[in-house]
Amino acid sequence: MIRRPSRFTSASELALAARREIIKMTASARASHVGSALSVVDILSVLYSKGANITPENFESVDRDIVILSKGHAASALYSVLALQGFFPMDWLQKYCQNDAPLGGHATSKGVPGVELSTGSLGHGLPYGLGIAMSRKISGVAGRVFVVMSDGECDEGTTWESAMIANHHKLDNLIVIVDRNRIQSLTFTEDTLQLEPFEDKWKAFGWETRVENGHDYETLSRALIESSKPLCVIAETTKGKGVDFMENSVLWHYKSPAEEDVKSAFSQLKASD
Amino acid sequence: MREAFVETLLEEAKKNKNIILITGDLGFGVLDKFQRELPNQFINCGVNEQAMMGMAAGIASTGKRVFVYSIGNFPTLRCLEQIRNDVCLMNNSVVVVSVGAGYAYGPQGYTHHALEDIAVMRALPNLEIVIPGDPIEASSVTSFLCNSHAPSYLRLGKSKENSINRSAVALAPGNYNEILRGERGTILFVGSVGTIAIEAAQILSNEGISVSVTSAPFLSFPDREYLERAAKTGPIVTVEEHSIRGGFGSSILEFCSQNFIQAEVIIVSTNQKNLSQIGDQDFLRKENGLSAHRIVEEFKSLLGDSN
Repeated sequence: MIRRPSRFTSASELALAARREIIKMTASARASHVGSALSVVDILSVLYSKGANITPENFESVDRDIVILSKGHAASALYSVLALQGFFPMDWLQKYCQNDAPLGGHATSKGVPGVELSTGSLGHGLPYGLGIAMSRKISGVAGRVFVVMSDGECDEGTTWESAMIANHHKLDNLIVIVDRNRIQSLTFTEDTLQLEPFEDKWKAFGWETRVENGHDYETLSRALIESSKPLCVIAETTKGKGVDFMENSVLWHYKSPAEEDVKSAFSQLKASD
Repeated sequence: MREAFVETLLEEAKKNKNIILITGDLGFGVLDKFQRELPNQFINCGVNEQAMMGMAAGIASTGKRVFVYSIGNFPTLRCLEQIRNDVCLMNNSVVVVSVGAGYAYGPQGYTHHALEDIAVMRALPNLEIVIPGDPIEASSVTSFLCNSHAPSYLRLGKSKENSINRSAVALAPGNYNEILRGERGTILFVGSVGTIAIEAAQILSNEGISVSVTSAPFLSFPDREYLERAAKTGPIVTVEEHSIRGGFGSSILEFCSQNFIQAEVIIVSTNQKNLSQIGDQDFLRKENGLSAHRIVEEFKSLLGDSN
């Protein structure tokens, strides 16, 4: 058994607990995108444990850090982390995708504490986060804005429109974290629409870039320290991370875990000590 | 109309620093004064309507009232999903402002003709559509919008429209603005085609038929009492510089039908026969069936039916 503290300060413990919730949620709701959620959950765990100044107590204050999950299809990861950190009751997770439940298949903002923007159509989170960052600059309000994107999402033109705008307006309070798992809807990103040289693209648009292991809590935390420019952290990740048969597989963008998959996944998702 | 809009917006924005004006790199010579006087409340975003609209929603989410200004279809159709998800779904305080309604940019070609925007914006939930009939109404509704928080769509003409109101008017949702009072029926319009409606009323008046001419600037809020009264008075001809599909006239038909208002309604709109036709606003209006004579004909045909 994993003992659950009232709030996790350790990103690794939060991520482990969240992974188990993600598996349960996607299995019981027969939902897709479990691979996407397992890919991004370490990034979210770093943000919600210590990387970002956002807690159930301050999430309505004007100068909180903002976290926007632009890859809304990985909602189960965001919901799990938020529930585990006490933003809303854990039992909401069990009603994921059910009739009239608060938590929809894609990130749902209305009535869900901690979810800043309803997403699900790709390419919306960055312009929106950019707007919040810009407004804070205009009004002299502190607090940073983190936008968590998928790599496939960077096919969207709004990514590069926003990248230009952020650089032009010197929005050093805006941080993009790209979940670079190299798989998108039908196949690998580089076989779909070449993103590389990916880091160079962001640099060319005037951003500071940092490339990190997206499953290493320490290096990821360090990558989020202040920058003098808009910052893009390219988090190198593995889709389906933590469950061997889901790792690096397009199939688990869609498939929901069956009973035996849950059993096998849980046998792998255990505290290491 | 755009001048009246910008003048009023500037006055309101001087009083309220939370009013922000964003342009998609358009408004040469029109927005300069605003930019000069309130540089901290003005952003030229560049040519990127989708990011611009998402950004506007993000800014609005922090408690600001954001006006997004561009021409024709650019701030509406080009970034439709951003309006739908980031503005309407999130209920953010954004006013989408489109200049050049209908054929105002006629010679520039169909890319610049705004003829489907009402239908598309009207399909969105949570978005209030506002279409002033002249510069005086434009000023009034702009003040109203500066003091509202609702996601809104402001459809403006271009410039140098004749005023059809004699003096300043206080407009509010749910109230139509009657310009002329008549006895035999009503010409109900949105936008700068009010001048055509008045011309039609004059022709009818010369024939001894007096009709009301009425502006409906708050399209999303039909004036129920007025419509019930008008329906009893005689035929209603709706006039708009827009496609017949899903526009102002359609909204009146839907409202009357849903509210059991038995009205004889005919829609005068543009017929979009030849999308590639070039010409100035007057020319294209006439070519596409939007003229005082057409209104007169339609009105008399209904009057004939009811006699």
